[in-house]
Amino acid sequence: MEVDGHELALTNLDKVLYPATGTTKREVIEYYARVAPVMLRQVEARGVTFRRFPNGVDQAGFFEKRCNQHRPPWVATAPGPGDHNGTIEYCVLDGPAALVWAANLAALEIHAPMARAEDLETPTTLVFDFDPGAPAAMAACARAALAVRDVLAAVGLEGWPKTSGSKGLQLYVPLNTPCTHERAASFALAVGRLLEREHPDELLTSMTKSERTGKVFIDWSQNARHKTTIAPYSLRARPRPTVSTPVTWEEVARAADGVDELRFEWPDVLDRVERHGDLFAPVLSLQQALPVPAG
Amino acid sequence: MPRPVWSGTISFGLVSIPVKLFHAVSRKNVSFNQLDDRSMSRIRLKKVAADTGEDVPDEHIVKGYEVTKGEYVVVDPDELEPFIPSATKAIDLEEFVDLADIDPVFYDTPYIVAPDKSAKPYVLLAKAMEEAGKVAVGTFVMRSKQYVAAVRPIDGRLMLSTMAFADEVVDPAGIDELDGIGDITVTKKELAMAEQLVESLAGDFEPERFRDSYREQVLELIEKKAAGETFETPEPAAAAPKVVDLMAALEASVKAAKEARGRHPAAVQAVPARRSKAAAQAEDDEDEAEARPAKKAARSRARKSA
Repeated sequence: MEVDGHELALTNLDKVLYPATGTTKREVIEYYARVAPVMLRQVEARGVTFRRFPNGVDQAGFFEKRCNQHRPPWVATAPGPGDHNGTIEYCVLDGPAALVWAANLAALEIHAPMARAEDLETPTTLVFDFDPGAPAAMAACARAALAVRDVLAAVGLEGWPKTSGSKGLQLYVPLNTPCTHERAASFALAVGRLLEREHPDELLTSMTKSERTGKVFIDWSQNARHKTTIAPYSLRARPRPTVSTPVTWEEVARAADGVDELRFEWPDVLDRVERHGDLFAPVLSLQQALPVPAG
Repeated sequence: MPRPVWSGTISFGLVSIPVKLFHAVSRKNVSFNQLDDRSMSRIRLKKVAADTGEDVPDEHIVKGYEVTKGEYVVVDPDELEPFIPSATKAIDLEEFVDLADIDPVFYDTPYIVAPDKSAKPYVLLAKAMEEAGKVAVGTFVMRSKQYVAAVRPIDGRLMLSTMAFADEVVDPAGIDELDGIGDITVTKKELAMAEQLVESLAGDFEPERFRDSYREQVLELIEKKAAGETFETPEPAAAAPKVVDLMAALEASVKAAKEARGRHPAAVQAVPARRSKAAAQAEDDEDEAEARPAKKAARSRARKSA
């Protein structure tokens, strides 16, 4: 098969990767090939981490940070954070062929850092990750995201929401101006703690699992230099082929009211992209600077 | 109550004495657990491939012996099986030697030997060895490993020490710094002075005089912390010290925005958590209008302090 001028050998296309839905690798590849135009813009300049499930989502998968040694020569790589302050070479998905190649490796999940490969010290985006502790669920995450949106608005910042494709929501705040990982993390934590103080029964910023029951954990630490977050439009290795899907604030408000679960599987996402285009496009271009406390 | 680490018999000739072994030394290092300072979660180590960082499931982990740099011979547990000493449950005493014959370098881990069930044969052996001034050397198997051991009497009891094998003891001849020390001559006077110095410091061995002051200090610190800050877990703020300032600034901004909104008749809903779609929509429009100038302000502030 030829993709974008590159010859690709696709293998085991009929292998079922999502047994619950019977979704095959062929469909996974189809999804990534069709979502590539919008997804690639979100990940193309970044060294990405794969989470591969060669035996389907019912079997254990594994993280692959170091770009596969058996990659075709045209798959680009770039250095990124490694162990002990060293660097390792990550894959850079810079075209549809690379995305299809990753899909063929059953790299169902593609995780991306907040910084571009060319400037690892500067996050282009700040992320809030809302992770619900059962019985809290999407509605609570949506309320938390709306609360964060209000704080952001008070300091003149805008953010864009997406589902994690799992249980939670994420809010991306485009920066695209000079910033550091430490400042982004501090800011996210400050917002989180402010809201934690206002809504102590609903929100928390500490990771302690035991305290999370019924609360939404605002994970500010995803802004760390070495952290990656599930990429917009990436599939998730959940029982069903759900996708980390950009959503509108109206949808988030409906979810907050418990009207919408915001669960999108890959065919839904292709429909949405056709209808809305890339809801995350502003995340790539809008320039915003984090406020600095006086003194 | 100490628990026995091994039980079996001491055998020699036709005699066999049921015994149990207990650790004679319990190490008192202060051990710390590794924690994530944000959540106090315990750190678990994962088995990953050194070259790719990928998780390696247990079924794929094999034993490899590095023959030369980077080259391994993989050995299957089945291949090792025939060599694993079978648990014989007996300490076979092979000979009785003088205590002074054993260089202390051979002694490894000490165990207390206690009688199991009937004490009489145990007492008899201990007394006989003490009278003869002898130490017994034998072999036994513990946890699938073969040991040489010395059994010695003390105060009517028996102690056992596992011992290093002869080929495990490092040959001092291999240490260059020791080369030629036999050729160095010392004068009688020098020797007399050195002996005098040694003599002046001579005393009885009082083990309790030597203490691990590091451990004691660490334990004291931990006790103080535990008493004073029992439930104090380091806050994430400790890692991000500027957060307090940031929070104050954010709080002021949020308050100002709420007040501005209060004056705005179109938007009455300030609480974000639950609101109708219409209100959300109204706020969206309002944010559009308000966000721009505020954003400019944020940007110029950022520049100023940069």
